[in-house]
Amino acid sequence: AAGMAAPTMEERKACWGARDEFWRCLDSHGDDAAQCEKLRRAFESRCPQQWVKHFDKRRDFLKYKKKLETEGFQPPEAAGKS
Amino acid sequence: GVAAGWLYLRHQKERQRRERRLHHLRSLSLGQGNFQLQDTSGAARSKADFRGRWVLLYFGFTHCPDVCPEELEKLSRAVRLLEADPALPPVQPLFITVDPERDDAAALARYLRDFHPRLVGLTGSAQQVREAAAQFRVYVSAGPRDDDGDYVVDHSVLTFLLDPDGIFRDCYSRSRTAEEVARSVRGHMDSYEPLAP
Repeated sequence: AAGMAAPTMEERKACWGARDEFWRCLDSHGDDAAQCEKLRRAFESRCPQQWVKHFDKRRDFLKYKKKLETEGFQPPEAAGKS
Repeated sequence: GVAAGWLYLRHQKERQRRERRLHHLRSLSLGQGNFQLQDTSGAARSKADFRGRWVLLYFGFTHCPDVCPEELEKLSRAVRLLEADPALPPVQPLFITVDPERDDAAALARYLRDFHPRLVGLTGSAQQVREAAAQFRVYVSAGPRDDDGDYVVDHSVLTFLLDPDGIFRDCYSRSRTAEEVARSVRGHMDSYEPLAP
């Protein structure tokens, strides 16, 4: 088997906990990542890089989904209207 | 006499109904074939080895960020709910890796320790695993590797129910709860009719 061993249950939970703390910080600062740098670093240190990427995408998707639900789909404006 | 003739006709009708139902299940052609894999002790296990048992089967991988532990937790809980009813036959929880490159017997044993004690983990060569996944039409796509060689595997998230004849009966997505899965399995057990010997 190539590379490092998969995270154990304890390591997974530590990662998810750090992620949740980071996301709670983002939630309470209107997604201003600059306000949450310490928690971001903790999140990155507790989780494999691949998982950080995965969870970043998940958050983007959840935000997009929420936006669709609350604002509705708005097609991008065309550069020059006819 | 007349009674014997009538009983015979009723029996025939039953048999035809059963065969039509089986034909329909087979026409769904999910879970056909006989996968050949190895369990965490290295022993060869095929799908046929699990005949005689209801099986709840999940495809995943040990480096999975969150979905697989959650689905395995749910699977374990569904099995425990069913176990709580002594009138029901036992259910065999089964895990097949979609990442045989990293998930060898030792890796699977370590990973599955945290879930149901009777959960059996299967791995194999890349080809064997590919074939098993294809038999259940499970989508598998390994992502790009980072500098450490780590990667995630994108895959269909489904738990499959097989009956004691090894025939696919149902599948459960991420949105189904453990309670819903257990209830559904119980329903299938109630309506199950064994194939003629």
